[in-house]
Amino acid sequence: MTNKRKSGKVAPVVRGLLFVAYGVPIIWIVITSLKTSGQVFNTGWGMIFFSPNITAYTKNLHGALLQAGLQSIIIATGTCVLVLLIAVPAGYGLARTTGRIPTIALGALIILQMVPQTATVIPLFQVFGSWGLLDNTLGVVIADTALLTPFAVLLLRPFFRGVPIALEESGAIDGASVWRIFRSIVLPIARNGVATTATLIFLISWGEFLYAVNFFLSPGRYPLSAVLAQQITAFGIDWPGLMALAVITSIPILVLFVATYKQLRDGLTLGAVK
Amino acid sequence: MPTMTSRTMKKVGRRDSSAPSAPRKRTRRQIRFVFVIPATLFIAIFSVYPLIQLLRMSVSDVTPATLGSNWDFVGFSNFSKGFAEGTLGTVLSNTLVFVGIVTVLGLIGGLAAAISLRGSARGTGLLLGLMVFIWALPPVVNGSVWKFLLGNTGLFNSMLGLSGTSPIGYLYNQHLALFSVAIVNSWAVVPFNALVFRAAILNIDPEIFEAAQLDGARPFQEIRYVIMAAVRPTTLVLTVLTVVYGFRSFDFIYVMTYGGPGTVTTTLPFLSYLEAFVRYDFGLGSATAVITVVLVIVLAMVYARSVRREEREL
Amino acid sequence: MWFKEEHHLPGVTRTSSGLARILSRKGRVALGAIAAASLLILSACSTTSAPSSSATPSQITVWHYTIDPIQAKVITAAAAAFEKTHPHTKVNSVYVPYDQLQSKLIAAAAAQQGPDVVLFNGGDANTLAAAGTLAPLDKYWSAYKDKSQFPDSTLHYYNNKLYAVQGVVDLVALWYNQDLMKKLGIAAPPTTIDEFNADMAKAKVAGDMGLTVTGLPNDQSEWQAYPWLTHAGFSYEKPTAASLASAFTTAQSWVNNGYLSKEAVTWDQTLPFQQFLTGNVLFAENGDWQAGAAKGAKFKYGVVPLPLGTDGRLYLGGTGNGIGAFSKAPQLAWEYIESGTLSKSGEISALENIGSIPARLDMVKDPTVTSSAITQGFASLIGPNGAKYPSAAIPPKNVAGVQLLVGQTWSAVLGGQLTPKDAADKVMSGLNTLLKK
Repeated sequence: MTNKRKSGKVAPVVRGLLFVAYGVPIIWIVITSLKTSGQVFNTGWGMIFFSPNITAYTKNLHGALLQAGLQSIIIATGTCVLVLLIAVPAGYGLARTTGRIPTIALGALIILQMVPQTATVIPLFQVFGSWGLLDNTLGVVIADTALLTPFAVLLLRPFFRGVPIALEESGAIDGASVWRIFRSIVLPIARNGVATTATLIFLISWGEFLYAVNFFLSPGRYPLSAVLAQQITAFGIDWPGLMALAVITSIPILVLFVATYKQLRDGLTLGAVK
Repeated sequence: MPTMTSRTMKKVGRRDSSAPSAPRKRTRRQIRFVFVIPATLFIAIFSVYPLIQLLRMSVSDVTPATLGSNWDFVGFSNFSKGFAEGTLGTVLSNTLVFVGIVTVLGLIGGLAAAISLRGSARGTGLLLGLMVFIWALPPVVNGSVWKFLLGNTGLFNSMLGLSGTSPIGYLYNQHLALFSVAIVNSWAVVPFNALVFRAAILNIDPEIFEAAQLDGARPFQEIRYVIMAAVRPTTLVLTVLTVVYGFRSFDFIYVMTYGGPGTVTTTLPFLSYLEAFVRYDFGLGSATAVITVVLVIVLAMVYARSVRREEREL
Repeated sequence: MWFKEEHHLPGVTRTSSGLARILSRKGRVALGAIAAASLLILSACSTTSAPSSSATPSQITVWHYTIDPIQAKVITAAAAAFEKTHPHTKVNSVYVPYDQLQSKLIAAAAAQQGPDVVLFNGGDANTLAAAGTLAPLDKYWSAYKDKSQFPDSTLHYYNNKLYAVQGVVDLVALWYNQDLMKKLGIAAPPTTIDEFNADMAKAKVAGDMGLTVTGLPNDQSEWQAYPWLTHAGFSYEKPTAASLASAFTTAQSWVNNGYLSKEAVTWDQTLPFQQFLTGNVLFAENGDWQAGAAKGAKFKYGVVPLPLGTDGRLYLGGTGNGIGAFSKAPQLAWEYIESGTLSKSGEISALENIGSIPARLDMVKDPTVTSSAITQGFASLIGPNGAKYPSAAIPPKNVAGVQLLVGQTWSAVLGGQLTPKDAADKVMSGLNTLLKK
């Protein structure tokens, strides 16, 4: 397979740099999570050599955290499903239509993304309040979906445009309906892009906390992202605790990524088989 | 064999242009527009409404006291107040520098990472995992980590200290602070761009690579002529998304410098946040947000124009 | 043609059975989607039954910003005190991060919701009252038998109505490292600015840090800068550029002389004290609420007034207690405030767990206050140097703007972005608009 071919001597160097750039902070997070509050400000070699302890973890691992984790899963999955349901067709529609309206629609999507999240909290709060969606997981899912759909559509459109139109046309010649062509011909080819977009949506909504913090009125319903945001306050930052919590809340993400990475890779192999 | 090569060459960066009769194509296209309806409805209710509220607030006097009741119309005084207070000039230039750095570094870094990670060399999976892990971490965590790493007693300055140099104020030196925060923000964005670029690169027909190799292309030429051309539409989208992200980004500034020292790292979104949620002048904050939106409209027009050009190539 | 054959109407040429189709990748995705959707619907249904913010009389909701587990004992103690006298009502204490509390209250008020009791940063009372998030307390206060125990600075009025009362007072003073002082040969803590500078110079020579303060460009800097500004002659009633320039010159000299690290511009009020606790810092301007953290110090420490003489003013902050505007049980909310935060036991709980100084006049001579040198150190400053927070000279709707302006300028001065004169001019021109009634 072509992709196994080494792309020269530069690639390993780049990979090495990336390892350092992304590995060091992670190591730092893990190290800090094993320190006590006092050790956090060690200077010199004390930064790396110290006697580790896991109090930061034992302090934070309790039932409430599990509940928050479940909440995170529900929100991220729900957002992912809802976004894909409306953005995948929309991406396809905008990829295959021309004219002023689709162009304006694309521009509108970009503009919609520009509205700062902080500016949408209050109007959405009023809407959800009058519809009884406050303090409700569904409300947060809707808010996250509204936030991420323009992004998903913009991201999916090039993948759909990458599907050769000849295939769709041959399907049409064989008498398939537009929906059939979309489902059976286009989607399988754009699978890579859909999977990538789905992964991104899941990850972003997993980490989203502004809506979660504002639309959930009781802390018992906070997802992990909001619990994490709570650790930074003006009157006391528990650095080891924050880092421990960061590690704990990120493990599910890592698990998901490892699982879907294999699928992404397999999907790639399938598509290239002659 | 010759037929295949020419067809595969056509695929790179261009659309297949075999055409059935024209009227049938047009009807097909109209039908496909139906696919957009669910998204349009949803967005109309939950995205357009807040935008309208934003615009209304930017021309009204809105404070917590008047939030629930009628807003007084004040015309453009929110906008002129912003300019009159004098900080807007600094903030504008800060924002442009910030967005520029994040976009350039984010795109170049993302593409370089994607190219070097497209194979299944040793450690690729682990590295991708590391990068996505970092990207998925909340900015609160990432920002705090870098705040430590860049501090006077942090990793970088400690290494400098070994060679006897006095510490560098990455986050409090008024000339360095903005660059430091922008670079950290780029670092946080690269994994996303890398993932998307990578998906696009993986979509390139392997036959094209084989054909290029048969023609004797070296890796660098492979990159320049095959990969770059194939990811052009993706580059366009990612540029737009990264620029938009840069114009909206405020979490890192909030955690690392809070806009300081002074106002050196205050960008438009941060200013909007300060005005709306620290000074509680929602009208002023909305006006600043609207200015940001206007700046991006220009960008949106550029993107839309290139989309039209894309279609003319069809 | 190989490409076309691969994808030529798979539905027609595929021979998969129904089961195989379900187990196919697309089928799995569909199943997953259905599962997720049903999970979602289930959770949406289950949430509508539980009451959210304000209460039926069987429960009252209290919003607070205390996360530290030791400090949070105050909250649990207040809840216990209330539940003891109200056996049929539970207290639901909700933690809201300090910097989110105001925006959550305001957003909730916009949807006409909110908690029964709010424990917030007293200085924000004006903003919260103006936003309609608090209910007036006048009728409960006039019937309160202990109301004469509370000095004027602890009462927050807006539009002539009372909206918040403080049970405690928080202020800043000078923490000093006693062991380090001895090592440097300093006999006693400084009482004048000249002594202060001289002491810090000795620390610098020895390779230690002289001082830590806040330099983050926000209201916390304005809070910590105020003593120095007022000492130089500044007041919001009569602001002058000269007094500001003088104060800024002093502050910038600390950085230029190396007593204070320029890194201070990235510090809120927590980090400077954490630095102080490492043992290499001589002085820290910080508050009484650090008493708990200070206990972890590996050196002897003490507290003295900032070397301001009689001119400098110290803001009297502290937790404000208010009743939510949309509370369905305001009477119960008041009783919580009365028994949990304004009572002697409530104030002692705050003193022991947080370090805040009791506000009640009848607590001044209480042994819990007089027996601790640290507490006494802070308490003795309230009378001579205390000032209302925020200053009454600032129109309520501009309080946040003024604090931001002064805070940003203080940060710019410490960071070297502005000269003292330019900084003074910047503040004066901003105050010109912001202080107009």
